[in-house]
Amino acid sequence: MSRFSKAAALAGLLCLGTVAAVAAESFPGVGRPATPAEVKAWDIDVGPDFAGLPKGSGSVDRGQTVWESKCESCHGTFAESNSVFTPLVGGTTAEDMKTGHTANLRRTDFPQRTTFMKVATVSTLYDYIRRAMPWNAPKTLSDDDVYAVLAYLLNLAEIVPSDFTLSDANIAEVQAMMPNRNGMTTAHALWPGPGFGTEANKPDTGNTPCMSNCKPKAEQVSILPDYAWNAHGNLAGQNRAVGPVRGMKTGPDEAEAEAGSPALALAEKSGCLACHALNAKLVGPSYREVAARYAGKDSATALVGKLKDGSEGVWGDIPMPAQTELADGDARVLVDWILAGAPEK
Amino acid sequence: MGSPMKIRATSKDGVTEIKVLMSHEMETGQRKDASGAVVPAWFINEVTAKLGDKTVLQAQWGPSVSKNPYLAFKVKGGQAGDKVTVTWVDNKGDTRTDTATVS
Repeated sequence: MSRFSKAAALAGLLCLGTVAAVAAESFPGVGRPATPAEVKAWDIDVGPDFAGLPKGSGSVDRGQTVWESKCESCHGTFAESNSVFTPLVGGTTAEDMKTGHTANLRRTDFPQRTTFMKVATVSTLYDYIRRAMPWNAPKTLSDDDVYAVLAYLLNLAEIVPSDFTLSDANIAEVQAMMPNRNGMTTAHALWPGPGFGTEANKPDTGNTPCMSNCKPKAEQVSILPDYAWNAHGNLAGQNRAVGPVRGMKTGPDEAEAEAGSPALALAEKSGCLACHALNAKLVGPSYREVAARYAGKDSATALVGKLKDGSEGVWGDIPMPAQTELADGDARVLVDWILAGAPEK
Repeated sequence: MGSPMKIRATSKDGVTEIKVLMSHEMETGQRKDASGAVVPAWFINEVTAKLGDKTVLQAQWGPSVSKNPYLAFKVKGGQAGDKVTVTWVDNKGDTRTDTATVS
């Protein structure tokens, strides 16, 4: 802990003092220091010592109202629901509130670990609800509503009575009643905690960096024979063109070789292929079916009209919507292509 | 005498929706504990719900119902202020009754 915290604290001090100046000096004309209002909007974390906790309060009753309008659909009326997310409440006892350890966590036959069985600090709940809830509209609850929802949850978890009003003044008393408040362990090799980086709690990886007498850098001593280069096709064509890795060109360019008909590309671009396939019925008929029905008939102009104005009842109940965005020339190209049997190339 | 049920009842457009969360072990009698002994069956086998004085739901449950059962149902009638009374009886003869007010 000590080593890391000092480093972190030092870095923090440096940041506070110099970030604005450095940004301004190193990159003149680029960016600007964040305004206090911007920092305030971003800096919403609530620590286990309640640093950053906004002033406010909320009652269990108010929380129930908010809960039933915004939270119930996913978490259930009593926060017991297991259908969308794991249950929030349950599995804790009055005895746990005395000891600060959730006894059910030690049971292997207990069906589920709920949030209140695990969470050690009530500030985490406040922070999380304010930061991330409701799922579809995070950060839309007012600070008082977050207090209220949390009070309702605490009431469901039987930590506070139903006439309780949670506020920044009494949240520390609630912390002293949290069922698993003593259940947090930091004696492990994961940050943060006193065990971090100590001999007794080494991480379970044996990857020690080499500092002396290291192996020389790898040298290429062999290369694939020519005939084997394209054993897996063109590697360049199989990589997404993102980042520095492009893959080696180890064969003919498949994209070039398989360049389809321009009309096919047009059909794809115009969204036709969402409902039509070349050779299979999707929402609409396949293009090969269409070509077969109109084979030998002079129906191209009529079909252009159907594309532009929409059509219904010819191929079943599902109507073809009017393609008003399609240019006349494009519609003609598509119809000619379809009547030609919708060739891929 | 188990721990209390949580009951919520809300009335809207002449229909009362009642939701109940019971707290019960609901042992099936099929499980064995670590030493191989059968864990004796212990489950709710009778549930009754009353709206006011009128019984609106009677159910016979068995061992297939989950631990801490959740029950929700809708009843015609009822208005804010009415009493909802839910009672369960388990196979050991234990029983619990809880009351809530329709809102």
